[in-house]
Amino acid sequence: MFFGLRLLPLLVAGLACPIPLHAAEDKGKVGHHDIVPVMQLRCTVCHGARKQEAGLDLRTPAGMLRGGESGPALVPGKPGESLILKKIHDGEMPPRRKLVAVSVKTMQSHEIELLTRWIELGAPMSEEKNDEGMVPEKKERDFWAFREPVAPEIPRFGEDGISSPVDAFILQGLKKKGLDFSPMADKRTLIRRATFDLTGLPPSPGEVREFLADKGQDAYSRLLDRLLDSPRYGERWGRYWLDVAGYSDSDGGQNSDPVRDHAWRYRDYVISSFNKDKPYDRFLMEQLAGDELAKPGTVPDAVLTDNLVATGFLRMGMDYTFANITGFVPDRIEVIDREMEVMSGTILGLTMKCAKCHDHKFDPILQKDYFRLLAIFKGAFDEHDWMRPRDGKGGAAYDVPWPTRYLPVPGAHRQWKKKNAPVEKQIAELKKDGGEEKNKEAIKALEVKRGPEPLIRALWDRGEPSTQYVLSRGDYRRPGDPVGPGVPGVLHSRKDSYSPEQPWAGAGKTGRRLAFARWVTRPDHPLTARVMVNRIWKHHFAHGIVDTLDNFGKAGSPPSHPRLLDWLSVEFARQGWSMKAMHRIIMTSRTYRQSSRVTARASGLDPDNRLLSRMPLRRLDAEALRDSLIFVAGQLDEQSRGGPPDVIEDREDGLVSVPRGGQGWRRSVYVLQRRTKIPTFLSIFDLPRMDPNCVKRPESTVALQALHLLNDGNVNQLADHFSQRLMSEAEDITSRIRLAYMLALSRLPSDVEMREVSGLVRELENRWQHDSGEKIEPVALRKKAFANLCRILFNVSEFQYVD
Amino acid sequence: MLIEGSGQPGSRRDFFRSMSGGMMGGALLSLLEGEVGAKPGQFPHYRPRAKSVIQLFMNGGPSQMDLFDPKPELDRMHGKSHFEKIAGEVENPQAAGALMRSPYRFSRHGQCGMSVSEVMPHLAECVDDIAFIRSMYTTNITHEPALFIAHSGRMQPGLPSIGSWVSYGLGSENRNLPAYVVLDDPGKLPVNGTQNWQAGFLPPEHQGTRFRATGAPVLNLKPAFPQPGAIGQLEREFIAKLNSGHHQQRPRQPRLSARMASYELAARMQLEASDALDLDQEKQETLELYGINREKSASYGRRCLIARRLVERGVRFVQLFIDFQIWDNHSNLKKGLLGCCEKTDQPVAGLLKDLKRRGLLEDTLVVWGGEFGRLPIAQLGDSKKVDNAGRDHNKNAMTTWMAGGGVKGGVVHGATDEIGLAAVKDRVSIPDWHATILHLLGIDHEHLVFNRNGLDERLTSVFEARVVNEILA
Repeated sequence: MFFGLRLLPLLVAGLACPIPLHAAEDKGKVGHHDIVPVMQLRCTVCHGARKQEAGLDLRTPAGMLRGGESGPALVPGKPGESLILKKIHDGEMPPRRKLVAVSVKTMQSHEIELLTRWIELGAPMSEEKNDEGMVPEKKERDFWAFREPVAPEIPRFGEDGISSPVDAFILQGLKKKGLDFSPMADKRTLIRRATFDLTGLPPSPGEVREFLADKGQDAYSRLLDRLLDSPRYGERWGRYWLDVAGYSDSDGGQNSDPVRDHAWRYRDYVISSFNKDKPYDRFLMEQLAGDELAKPGTVPDAVLTDNLVATGFLRMGMDYTFANITGFVPDRIEVIDREMEVMSGTILGLTMKCAKCHDHKFDPILQKDYFRLLAIFKGAFDEHDWMRPRDGKGGAAYDVPWPTRYLPVPGAHRQWKKKNAPVEKQIAELKKDGGEEKNKEAIKALEVKRGPEPLIRALWDRGEPSTQYVLSRGDYRRPGDPVGPGVPGVLHSRKDSYSPEQPWAGAGKTGRRLAFARWVTRPDHPLTARVMVNRIWKHHFAHGIVDTLDNFGKAGSPPSHPRLLDWLSVEFARQGWSMKAMHRIIMTSRTYRQSSRVTARASGLDPDNRLLSRMPLRRLDAEALRDSLIFVAGQLDEQSRGGPPDVIEDREDGLVSVPRGGQGWRRSVYVLQRRTKIPTFLSIFDLPRMDPNCVKRPESTVALQALHLLNDGNVNQLADHFSQRLMSEAEDITSRIRLAYMLALSRLPSDVEMREVSGLVRELENRWQHDSGEKIEPVALRKKAFANLCRILFNVSEFQYVD
Repeated sequence: MLIEGSGQPGSRRDFFRSMSGGMMGGALLSLLEGEVGAKPGQFPHYRPRAKSVIQLFMNGGPSQMDLFDPKPELDRMHGKSHFEKIAGEVENPQAAGALMRSPYRFSRHGQCGMSVSEVMPHLAECVDDIAFIRSMYTTNITHEPALFIAHSGRMQPGLPSIGSWVSYGLGSENRNLPAYVVLDDPGKLPVNGTQNWQAGFLPPEHQGTRFRATGAPVLNLKPAFPQPGAIGQLEREFIAKLNSGHHQQRPRQPRLSARMASYELAARMQLEASDALDLDQEKQETLELYGINREKSASYGRRCLIARRLVERGVRFVQLFIDFQIWDNHSNLKKGLLGCCEKTDQPVAGLLKDLKRRGLLEDTLVVWGGEFGRLPIAQLGDSKKVDNAGRDHNKNAMTTWMAGGGVKGGVVHGATDEIGLAAVKDRVSIPDWHATILHLLGIDHEHLVFNRNGLDERLTSVFEARVVNEILA
């Protein structure tokens, strides 16, 4: 739908023969901006920034004139005497049989013609055009999401005892339909709801009892304090951020889906940032421009480490450029495009990617805006000076120095080196005189002893961005005008000019992303706060106020409560961008504390619950469900943070599972997150494959889920552990059933349930005795019957759905 | 049972959002339709010519000029150098040899007189039912991206495969079986593994469900631990009882009824899936027709027969894969290609004959093809001998075929150049090919869409795709 009729003629022409725009517009004129892109595509990998084969640097006209060991590459006005054309015509350059190794394709005939013509004309410079961003007309900008949020007046409902502004806005909506809030949920429902919401786990029986017994006025607010202070909070809410960041422990793109070492540091960074309630503006600054925030040596190592690890946000995307055959310029551009898609959707709530090939169809975002955005990131993401995702070695035979994407962990790396100096020496000794092959085993053993090198998968500006061109139709073969860095015109007000500068003297960085991060985190930014409070709201109420979480543009869904959204956004920035403050505001509201029961009236007047006439009934997501099984079975390994991630096992028949570690199982967020081989349990409960990220998880209800919870070996193991726990923590059948209910459902069984469940346990014991055909000891028999009961509790709706 | 309460369009919409179409979802939907009175979508768009598809995917890139596209000119030019003309198109330039003729003889078959290589004697008997497309091409010469293109239309991973799109659009005819079943080779998974049948951004229930040819057909269909059957029965009954009580206290929550229905479906599927895979129900003569009695063709034959049993039961899209990528004949073409045919020729022909005699071929579309074709030049091994040379990948030409469900028999569409290097006449792209398959199922490829982040995604993406009308009956 974004490729409208208007572009069709261009599209057809583009397929036949992609000619640079300048030349297409005016056949006579050829300037250096027509030639530089050709050099970048075909030549500069060996004659450019990282390598000057034969002393030749073809990045600029000056470099071409200067030439290399064989003299100048060109003679202006004399194509016949220009070395570069001679080498091309002779088929010597670019060297055909080496092309694949350096991920370059052959020169196209029109490129050669263009180069010839340019030399004929005397190798002139292009006219420099005004590169100002365009500001769309006022009526285009006059869309709610592009205006800065202003705190609205709060509706007054004194007589209803409404004190929370959240409730005031919600009640206003309900009253319009003749509705009111549902009754308050009971305390047992509240503690279960709040505990799952903030920690992704059920409350323990002790916590439930304590809360029910606490008659204090502030019992609920103290409950929230305790939950927000729990390290499990970051594991729950950090995971939501990892979804939108597209966190992955693998590169994807190829069948091998190679594991990405060190990515887990970013996962830990996110979890600990949430736990520390790092202000959201700081959180974004670090992720967008951590490398430009502080000069090394001027801040503690821990801060510097956080800054650098945070930039992993822009390194999460699928990336198959580690291989020659999938590492061509268009492949690299795709990697960059995906990062831009994630960044703009997640932080700005804008579908900027739509403007790659043409001006945005719905929003006042110009194609030029997209390329100005790319120029902001060019110092770090440069398709013509690429850093491969895997290692620093290039095609060995051609000695192309692909730079590495890893940085040493400040401080820790030094210590690691110091500690391992003797081992390093031993390794070097063994490698000497071609001993590498002979002493392979010994070297390997020493490397294991040395331990993994503390490295960070980071993104950083290298200060030498190549020129960014507007690509016609987004086609890398059709470069148009050059553009400089800039923010989308529609969001660019006069008071916030975007002006990058060196972050510190001698930094060797453009500062472009730092300026961008500052602009994004302005308290009056129209989108930043809105997008994040909306996401927080979504995870409490199942729907966002704006339902399209990553699209606040005109094609997104309109906000159900625009003034509430604005009030929350202003409040967010006012409270120092504290996410925990937002949770408190939302969770102490009456809106949040309503019952989830649906009356016929509410269902009729508010069918989708967009007005929040009740709390939505919510299903546990994949992680919360799996973690809860582990938790109630008493098998949760509480180790937080730290890599490498928990490994997975994949079986020939396709079952992917997580084996038990020494202390049980760690939470699902710590399991290896590849793009393939997603643990079966998590995948059938809708843990998505990250591609490039996940804005909103789908919720499916399929028979495979039932089959898995009933028949899976791992789940069975957990049912056994759960049963064992009941055996050791309670004495008789009644107290065991009571404990099982408290652990799994945070409540005691009713008298009827108690009767039925005890009857079931006895029947199960009889069955086991009868059907297994062998004598089973009474103790073992009871444990088996209880394991069945545990599996039943794992499978009931009440376990999986939170009121 | 099931959806009670409000009957409000809103809540129903919500419900379908989580349940719509496909694997179990689709099955559940058909089960609900009578009561809710809602249709999942506007599909099909027009009268379908085929109800089901059996896709015989030939991993590796079968060599068109050695099977279906004879090139006398190549025989004449045998031994001449050609590399310089195609340098950018060769994946392994260092091994590129001269032009190489086919090691096999071709002869004409059937009333249509179609030329088929001597290595496919069984398929040669079926040519009057087949439409051959000699002018297919793709856009990448590496297996991984080419496979993604063949299955999802684009070279990026993570996009829905054609089977998922069909499941999403049409669901299953059988409420107890998934709409999209994959029969992969017990030997080795194809390149890209399970990503070949992924649902991508479509709801996960549309991903292909692997049925294993032996043992429990579906993952976790049976308990992975020893337990008397009656105990499992007790468990399920008690779960149903507790769920029902839970739901009664929470009226007007359609997701809870959907969840209960999914448990009922799980139990039914257990029976039906096992039945579909029980080949003991087949006559000896049928087993022999598929070559199941012969060692080389037994494995593929068994899967072809299971495919027939699945479409008989209403499965919408059955996809067969072959051991890793046996058609990737980089070396020893003569022996290697013969080996591939010994494994698949009789089973494939058996499937066509069996479908036809049972009247199933009329509404079952059988599709045969790989991810690309092969080059007319030799790929030389270290010995540099032509005798044991193979052929390298070729994105510019390949032959595929379709039979049954609305397809003309005994026709050839399109042509390659004189040496088989590139499709030149009536070229058919992968999107064209996808659009044609959808068309035969009654779906207009431009209108099978899924909105993702504001963009209407489709199998044929933004490519211009044309239904190959010339091969339609």
